[in-house]
Amino acid sequence: MLWTEKYHPQNFDEVLGNTLAKKEIEDWIAAWLAGEHPKPLLLVGPPGTGKTTIAHLAAREFADSVELNASDKRSYDILLRTIGEASATGSLFNQGLKLIILDEVDGIHGTDDRGGVRAISKIIKEGHHPLIMMANDPYSKRLKSLKTKSKVVKINKVHTNSILALLKRICIKESVDFDEHVLRTLAKQSKGDLRSAITDLEIIAQGKESITSADLELLFKKDDIHNIFDSVRTVLKSKNPKRIKDAMRIEADPAFILELITENVPREYEKKEEIEDAYEMISQADIYLGRAFQTRNYGYWKYTYDLMSLGVALSKEETYRKFARYANSSVYAILSKSRAKRDLRDRVADKIGEKTHASRRVVREQFPYLEMMFQDNDLARELADYFNLDDAEIKLFRSRKIPKRKKAKPGKSPKKSSEKPEKKAKSSVAKKENKKEKEAKPKKSAPKKGKSTSKKSKYPQDIGTKEKEGTNQNSSNIKEKPANPENKEKQVSLFSFK
Amino acid sequence: MQGPWVEKYRPQTLDDVVGQEHIIQRLKRYVEEGSMPNLMFTGPAGVGKTTTALALARTILGEYWRQNLLELNASDARGIDTVRNDIKNFSRLKSVGSPFRIIFLDEVDNMTKDAQHALRREMEMYTKTSTFILSCNYSSKIIDPIQSRTAIFRFTPIKGSHIIKRLKIIAEAENIKATDGALESIVYFAEGDMRRAINILQASSTIDKEVSEESVHEVVSKAKPKDVRKIISYALDGKFMEARDLLRELMVVQGTSGEDMTTQIYQEVSKMSMDGIIDQDSYVDLIENIGKFDYRIREGANPRIQLEALLTKFLLKGKQPTT
Repeated sequence: MLWTEKYHPQNFDEVLGNTLAKKEIEDWIAAWLAGEHPKPLLLVGPPGTGKTTIAHLAAREFADSVELNASDKRSYDILLRTIGEASATGSLFNQGLKLIILDEVDGIHGTDDRGGVRAISKIIKEGHHPLIMMANDPYSKRLKSLKTKSKVVKINKVHTNSILALLKRICIKESVDFDEHVLRTLAKQSKGDLRSAITDLEIIAQGKESITSADLELLFKKDDIHNIFDSVRTVLKSKNPKRIKDAMRIEADPAFILELITENVPREYEKKEEIEDAYEMISQADIYLGRAFQTRNYGYWKYTYDLMSLGVALSKEETYRKFARYANSSVYAILSKSRAKRDLRDRVADKIGEKTHASRRVVREQFPYLEMMFQDNDLARELADYFNLDDAEIKLFRSRKIPKRKKAKPGKSPKKSSEKPEKKAKSSVAKKENKKEKEAKPKKSAPKKGKSTSKKSKYPQDIGTKEKEGTNQNSSNIKEKPANPENKEKQVSLFSFK
Repeated sequence: MQGPWVEKYRPQTLDDVVGQEHIIQRLKRYVEEGSMPNLMFTGPAGVGKTTTALALARTILGEYWRQNLLELNASDARGIDTVRNDIKNFSRLKSVGSPFRIIFLDEVDNMTKDAQHALRREMEMYTKTSTFILSCNYSSKIIDPIQSRTAIFRFTPIKGSHIIKRLKIIAEAENIKATDGALESIVYFAEGDMRRAINILQASSTIDKEVSEESVHEVVSKAKPKDVRKIISYALDGKFMEARDLLRELMVVQGTSGEDMTTQIYQEVSKMSMDGIIDQDSYVDLIENIGKFDYRIREGANPRIQLEALLTKFLLKGKQPTT
């Protein structure tokens, strides 16, 4: 038995929240039972707040009840036949009152359910039976005429604390150990939808002895992406406009949906023409995304939605009867794999841009030329200095370290350089810095160093930790105490350790 | 320490700015008068917009130009908040040592419309103390109110003769030689972009002390985003997924811009048509599509998606394997 059923309220007292509304409904029932004929009820509120529950509880007070919901085809005739009959024939008990429950009246479809609203109005007019209607969207146009003829009762979202309390009770009854914050997150995440909160709890807790926040993550991540994939599947598998439009009713950034549809078009579609046509639609959808962004007129999104769903769906000749493995966009994988690389790239671009009055984009276009310039040792040294690039950043342009300046200490370097090019490179940079720093202002460089170090620590993934330590250590040494031999020793050891 | 040649030889005065004579003349009149309206410099990359703005600021603001110039480039966060705070804080203070203050914003066409509207308000508010110089590639992406509040200067690609003259000056100062053929081909590849021309020259000089046509060609071909040919070949062979994966790798990891990619695809397709790999009818068709998507990239939200769509146009142009 589903927990949503198992823990279904058995009477009005057990219904969470909405005290005022409950009172109104109870009064309404009492009025009917007392022989009055009050206006029908229209319960309006978001999903999972208890509208159906309330209606069902109300039904127990009457002799009989009949219910229609959105899944029934509610044309004029059907409505009249089913309800009209119920409405006209009385039963003997409870003054023969038969409760009529109409769920999702705002969902009555314009053409399919032609005259549906009119039928309801007619029933209200002549009906001798209590009628409860339910709707999600209080502003739906279809409700307009019904609203005036009925008593509107607003059913509010259930408060997080009330949901939390119920979830706790369920956990205790099911003897599941819980972290309070796990349940609180569940309650919050449900946004007042009690049903979804219980369903979620059941998913992570059923058959378990305890639940932790790890379970939680799994649930939400899977759930979100799951919904989107369902929609993507509908777009690619179906050619039914209504279903496809429905599938687009998901809470997700349209750019993300577009990305997923784009990713999977060639996984589902096989003919080149289909892929081409689908991509034409995708391209158009993207243009409207661009326009929406440019103008901040998000009304353009509706074209994006239609083009990427209907447009893509209708690009296929026939629906494929096959199982295609859908995937998340490879772009995200590439992005996360290349994160360190890109961070480095941007950091370098910012440094260079500062000196050359250019944006990242403009600087990046010059990277290939810089790469070539950096192959020249002297020039590389000069540019690295000028742009204030550290060793890791230099690596973006050349894989080899910049060797020591030719004339500096000619006796020592050649041998060592072949053994430990790294160390050599460091000390050469160090030496060069030293020269500058000797006559320069140590005060000014000290804060600079602090800044660069802290900046570096923001990008721990850029390079291997050892290396990073080394680089850091190195640059700080250079700048802080240029002439301190002890520090140089330290440097050496650090690098040989590498 | 003077940095790369593009920076080392950046013109410091208006007179040194190359190839935009008519603009410079008008700007010099502002200098004589000691005041200027809000300006907008539009034009492609590397034609001297930033250089001119900096030279103008230096000349018109005098000794304390640094203190009285706020330079915000497109990499700085430039949402509404920046416009409201940074620019406001800077522009409402009276200038010291200069007749007024200058705010220089580049790539304004990449700012959102909202930020542009905020900017427009700032431009009106502090006319007494500050003047704006805006630069952009496409003035069509600038909201009308800003366009109507600025004197617009359209920078054009720099003529080959001007580029050569400049390159010769640099070569002499750097004590390197460049053959006429080398300079000609730099001009050809630079397409009126001085920044690119100078970068090619400097990169070539690291290969060869005497810059030749060959070294220039080597530099230019090395500077190209790699694998573009491969992407096109995959697409022509009908291997869409492979083509797409490679394109994504290139654009995401290397950060190649959509515009660069389009240019590269165009050049490769031209070459492939010359080599007979792509027949003439298909070639014309493809060029039409490349142009179409070049334009869409500027309109759309995601250049990569547009380029993927462009790749699908190649699928039916290759040798047709029967399906």
